[in-house]
Amino acid sequence: MNFIRQFLGILLVNLAGVPQRIAPVLTIIIGVSCAVGVLVSMLAMGTGARRQEMGDASDDRVILATAGERVFQGNISREEAAAVLQLPGIRKGSQGEPIVVFDSEVPVEGRRRVTGNRIFFPLIGTTPTVTEYLPEMRFTGGRMFQRGLHELIASNSCVRQFTGFDLGDRRPIHGSEWTVVGHFDLGQAQQCSVYADVDSLMSTFSSNTYTSVSVRLQTPADFDAFSDAIKANPSLHLEAKREREVIEDGFKQLNAILNFVSYFVGTIMAIGATLGAVNSLYAIVDSRRRELATMRAIGFGSAAIVASVLCESLVWAIPGALLGSALAWAFFNGLSASPFGYSFQLAVTPSLVALGVVWALAMGLAGGLLPALRAARVPVTTALRAI
Amino acid sequence: MRFLPLIWSGIWRKPGRAILIFLQVCVAFALFGVLQGLKTGVEQLVRAARADVLLVHGSLSLIDSLPLSLLDQIKSVPGVEVVVPVELSGGIYQNPSQKLGIVAIRPEPGWLAAFTFTIAPEYAEALRRTRTGAIVMEGLVKRYGWKIGDHIPLKSATVQTNGSTDWTFEVVGTYTDSDVGGGRDNILINYDYYDEARVAGRGTVKHFNVAVSDPKRAVTVADEIDRRFANSSNETRTESLRELAQMNLQSIGDLNFLIRAIVSAVLVALLFATATMMMQSIRERTPELAVLKTLGFSNRAVFLCILAEALVVFIAAAACGLALAMLVFPLASRIVPGLSMPVIVVAVGVASAVLVAVISVSVPALSAARLKIAAALASR
Repeated sequence: MNFIRQFLGILLVNLAGVPQRIAPVLTIIIGVSCAVGVLVSMLAMGTGARRQEMGDASDDRVILATAGERVFQGNISREEAAAVLQLPGIRKGSQGEPIVVFDSEVPVEGRRRVTGNRIFFPLIGTTPTVTEYLPEMRFTGGRMFQRGLHELIASNSCVRQFTGFDLGDRRPIHGSEWTVVGHFDLGQAQQCSVYADVDSLMSTFSSNTYTSVSVRLQTPADFDAFSDAIKANPSLHLEAKREREVIEDGFKQLNAILNFVSYFVGTIMAIGATLGAVNSLYAIVDSRRRELATMRAIGFGSAAIVASVLCESLVWAIPGALLGSALAWAFFNGLSASPFGYSFQLAVTPSLVALGVVWALAMGLAGGLLPALRAARVPVTTALRAI
Repeated sequence: MRFLPLIWSGIWRKPGRAILIFLQVCVAFALFGVLQGLKTGVEQLVRAARADVLLVHGSLSLIDSLPLSLLDQIKSVPGVEVVVPVELSGGIYQNPSQKLGIVAIRPEPGWLAAFTFTIAPEYAEALRRTRTGAIVMEGLVKRYGWKIGDHIPLKSATVQTNGSTDWTFEVVGTYTDSDVGGGRDNILINYDYYDEARVAGRGTVKHFNVAVSDPKRAVTVADEIDRRFANSSNETRTESLRELAQMNLQSIGDLNFLIRAIVSAVLVALLFATATMMMQSIRERTPELAVLKTLGFSNRAVFLCILAEALVVFIAAAACGLALAMLVFPLASRIVPGLSMPVIVVAVGVASAVLVAVISVSVPALSAARLKIAAALASR
């Protein structure tokens, strides 16, 4: 009880003295806010990328690839494709047909609107069932492609990012001209998606196999039965994976890079901010030697002094964390980035802010420890004699 | 000179504080060095890549093949000096972790103009004479202890006409590569030998390397080559090595805004921390400074002493931080070969350290210089 009373008493005196020590206090706050701001905005890339990639993932969607091959790079024959239609658990579309999409991917090039830089993106040949496979697909202009024709439909992010995707534009692909006939939005996706009729595309590229087959199940729980049926069928050399799993696999590498860079830079910034806090708190303690010695002389305990200085350090770290997160939010939330061939919007979320506060408290604690011990060890007699 | 001991003892007046400031500046410039160094280093690599060496490859992607028969048509384009067919594959030496790239080229006279390789003339001559010869990347020779004249067995995915996937090449020389990412483990072999010995894909190449006679006309020549093959079954896409480097490395460029923001956050935080620290430190030293002035130090001498103290600490700390940052580059150059710390970044780093020191110390130093002796001593 006595300890707590002493502790609170000293803490109040500490805080009351802030106006005279505004500069070192601001140093702590600014140092912590820069460190937290940087950490939060770097992690916001990873969060944004995850939100972007996982945002539209649905548990009832399953992607089939040739066993052992990478997803979307399979070799699925027309016979195998026909057999997939007979598998159990597949949801039926509005016309009563099973919702199965046969895809064939080829890389085609685009040019960025702003920089003119060349970039490759996949042109996906697909079947018209794609609109029922992807219920989040919403046409904003034009129409669906027609079977057998050289027609393209492009997501609105293509139109924003690349040239040559306006309605009616003609794009030369492999010696023939393809016309852009429709624009659509695809859920939260920022990635450019371009679809064409799979048969037209495969005959243009004289290909005979699909690269992937996607299926929408009646319920997510049908996955096991569906997967078992594939394994039981000796003519199917296919592997079924949930959409979520496929996205997670593809995202792993980017996630690892982003996390490493974020924590590497964040840690260095945190070390810098902690050093700054140590220095500032030392300065604060030094300027109050007489005051602290007096307190000790009139009976305040060392433990209470240590606790109060530590607590003061934590108290300054929190506004620093909030300020840093606020700056990160103001500058970077919603900003588009497209590193390593991905494109997404940075997302500053409450959980990132919480993480920032935890880091700030750690910085405050580490930074406050040494000065707090020094404050408690001020020799009473020498400090008082210095008056 | 005679002020040196004074400056030195001024720095160490409070050793704890001096070390903390030193570390803080050091950490800040280590981060500055890593971020700015990587960014500028990559930009420099792109700028240094050759714009006069063109690569002709299939228009769809870099992995498609082109028929060898396009060679004569490319050669006939005005401004084209040399055309060399290039086929790429990979091999394994002894165990699967020892991978190397096999680059099959046709060593016609003048072929080196279309590459970024440095090869001694006698080695190039030896490759021309030895059908199964191979010129080996310098680092590989050292790593595996190969000597000229050695026969090296490689396992490859390419099947030979005799059904085997074991290839043996004779080491006839070594080379170095000055291109962006030129540090790769490759060997150069004869295209004609390789093409005749393989079963599948005969008469195809991954790309053609083209040297142009006038570097200024490289873009026109590239466009003309693509125009010749437009709407044929082998549409081509011709790009210079510089354009390719730009494409490969642009992902880092997309993070420029973030790097700029971090670097400015680091410098702002540092400036604020050091400025308050300097102010505090000089306030504490008021009586000592007053004594100095009593002894006859001019206002200017006091100002310069304090400034010099800050400059010594900041420049030493920044140099230390930038040196730490350089440790990252050997690691980074494994991902982007040839990447090194640009001198300009070191110079800018040291200059910013001077700037931060001057800004954070000038206000308190000025007020110290203007001290009234009597008032300062009286305040004790």
